[in-house]
Amino acid sequence: MATGTPDVVVVGSGAGGAMAAYVLTKAGHRVLMLEAGRDYDPKTETPMFQESRDAPLLGASTSDKNFGYYDATVDGGWQVPGEPYTMSDGTEFLWWRSRMLGGRTNHWGRYSLRFSEHDFKGYTRDGLGADWPFDYDELAPWYDRTETLVGVCGANTGHPDMPDSSPGVLQPPPKARVPELLIAAAAQKLGIAAAPMHRAVLTRPLDDRAPCFWATPCGRGCSIGAAFQTTTSLLPLAKKTGLLTIRTDAMVSAVDVDAQGRVTAVRYVHRKTGKTESVSGRAVVLAASACESARILLNSRNERFPNGVANSSGQVGRNLMDSTGAGLGATIPALVGRPRYNEDGHTANHIFIPWWGHEQQVKGELDFPRGYHFEIGSGFGAPNAWTGAGVQGYGTALKQQVRESYGAHVYFALRGEMLPNRDCYMDIDDIVRDKWGIPVPRFHWRWADHELKQVAHGLTTMKALIETMGGEAPALPTPEEAIRKGGEIIHEVGTTRMGTSPKDSVTNPWGKAWDLRNLYVTDGGVFASNPHKNCTLTLMTLAMRNADHLAGELAKGVV
Amino acid sequence: MSEQRRDRLPRISRRESLKWFGMVLAGNALTPYPVDAAASNVSADDHWPMLKLAPVTAPGYGQDPDLVAMTAGPWPRTLSTGELDIVRLVAGIVIPREGDVPSAAELQVEDVVDEWVSAPYEGQQRDRVPIVSLLVWLDAESERRFGHRFADVSDAQRVAIVDDIAWWDADAIYRRPVQAFDRLRSIIVAAFFCTPEGSSDLGYLGGKPIAGDYPGPTEAALHHLAGVLESLGLVAWVDPAAG
Repeated sequence: MATGTPDVVVVGSGAGGAMAAYVLTKAGHRVLMLEAGRDYDPKTETPMFQESRDAPLLGASTSDKNFGYYDATVDGGWQVPGEPYTMSDGTEFLWWRSRMLGGRTNHWGRYSLRFSEHDFKGYTRDGLGADWPFDYDELAPWYDRTETLVGVCGANTGHPDMPDSSPGVLQPPPKARVPELLIAAAAQKLGIAAAPMHRAVLTRPLDDRAPCFWATPCGRGCSIGAAFQTTTSLLPLAKKTGLLTIRTDAMVSAVDVDAQGRVTAVRYVHRKTGKTESVSGRAVVLAASACESARILLNSRNERFPNGVANSSGQVGRNLMDSTGAGLGATIPALVGRPRYNEDGHTANHIFIPWWGHEQQVKGELDFPRGYHFEIGSGFGAPNAWTGAGVQGYGTALKQQVRESYGAHVYFALRGEMLPNRDCYMDIDDIVRDKWGIPVPRFHWRWADHELKQVAHGLTTMKALIETMGGEAPALPTPEEAIRKGGEIIHEVGTTRMGTSPKDSVTNPWGKAWDLRNLYVTDGGVFASNPHKNCTLTLMTLAMRNADHLAGELAKGVV
Repeated sequence: MSEQRRDRLPRISRRESLKWFGMVLAGNALTPYPVDAAASNVSADDHWPMLKLAPVTAPGYGQDPDLVAMTAGPWPRTLSTGELDIVRLVAGIVIPREGDVPSAAELQVEDVVDEWVSAPYEGQQRDRVPIVSLLVWLDAESERRFGHRFADVSDAQRVAIVDDIAWWDADAIYRRPVQAFDRLRSIIVAAFFCTPEGSSDLGYLGGKPIAGDYPGPTEAALHHLAGVLESLGLVAWVDPAAG
């Protein structure tokens, strides 16, 4: 453990914070990490082989455990007791938090898709949202390094929406399973190409992490380290340098900034003692999550910075984006009663359907901008609290219904790009404070026509896929009915976006706040747009790149 | 529930039933309330009890339970012995023994039902009133039809009652029993298939660690898929990474 004044204070131990700490400690800098939640050890706390029957209520979701009893999330979910958030009239927004070392990486889906060249220059292409301050080529080598360090299985396909990794970077993907193969064949008939999913799950050993043994859901966490989470990878690696100190139960409330624009202290409430303490370092990295980091900046207001620090642009808290979400499922008669085999695999998609519409958009054939992809739900899953739901009757005939329909249901989950809009942002509630006395975020949300038209297109496509497989699709909901709530996909980004000008962005292309001399952001807040490809891989890649930049600045004495 | 409790359960005539159906004597958790005014207008065949149960106020397991060690919800169970007896009898009808595979009753799924309806969470509490009401209704319906409570009639007589409420297109007079039975059945079915015996009966073959690469579908599974593709006029997917 490092002693003395740290070089860098990192706020948050999830994807962005842990990556920053890893890079900085590897570069020889002392890091003090503040984590709001408790210490957490996946090696001893993960319920790896417990079955639903071993859990209360067969593991069903409750208000205490929103994603089911065995979900890894500690002290969190859609609501954290004593830590409310508010919404403006008409807003429905969900804000998932966890209060644990490693943050949301302990339970995330691990889907790890690179953004493509299209994604970094959306504004140039269609005049909407904002471009990123660099293009794909700038980030490509950093993607390679991140995928190598994190461990991502998948395959290069040359798909226009899926940039190839450099040779040898990706670990081998697992074989596709029967429902996935059927869906891929159906998509193929519709002119849509399926592809191997890229996922942060090891299929080969890495460091002291074991490869996947093809059992136990990753959302519980992974005691063998196969499914990436910072608590079994980046944090232990950073600790090995002897330069990382982790302080848990430290709920950061604000930063202090001097007249020269230098952050002089990070203030936090110790969750066990309730006392406010402060720490300082040469630099500060905010990686508390897009909305928590924006909250910290907005709550750091004083007479000199009445709108919060790093906010001369007025963009802190603005441009809040999530992924769009919608879904459709059906039983496929041809899959009824199919031969059984162990279909666990790595317990998530082995293949999926990437966005196929770039050409159509160029030709003006689509009535919405940007893209989406389909994730697939299917398979002979472990029995759970919903097994047999929807059957009627009783007796052996009922049992036969359940057995025959087992593994015959498929579900498509749309995940799409949302554009920033004026109606979607967060600010600070004037009245409500959490139990630590910290003013809470207030969310504002309204989907735009872009997203609704995209969802309408997705629903029609899902229906076509189901029917191509011989299934009967349910009556389609309207896009307004189908689209998930803001925040519900847990891909919130954009609240401290990066850009090329301090006038319309919060951080520069390195994630450094334009207005401050020594504050960086390495969470999803810096995203200039929110492509449909799940955000964590790019978040970690940016964190690696930008922490490397910070390490250089520290070494040069610039920061 | 003790035998003494059982004795306190009303043995009622059909006529008396309307008066009694609003009253469940159930110790700590259930508080007797008079019949809802609306109930006095129900037909003899639609004698659904209008229960008002004292809310479950016990704490849940919280947001940081011991995921490795905890196996059952910490809240007190609220079903009486008599109610559990009815659940067990229903479970045996919903999932009867089939060859070597035990029935749901033999696997004590009533414990899961009790845990479920006793849980302090909103989702489970939504199921509580209908399910407990159904248990009361089953006794009363059995009394009405056969002159004895559900536990005391023959298997065939019990099945006759269940058969009337087990189908979504059942006679409209059974609307509420059908809805409640659907929820009870769902819990029974899930609880059964979650047992080792039920999981095996379902054919779940996962949950076992595999060394090396994931083996993928078996030959039999792929052969079946080939037939499916052919029947649907589909061509096997060409993996873009394979070439």
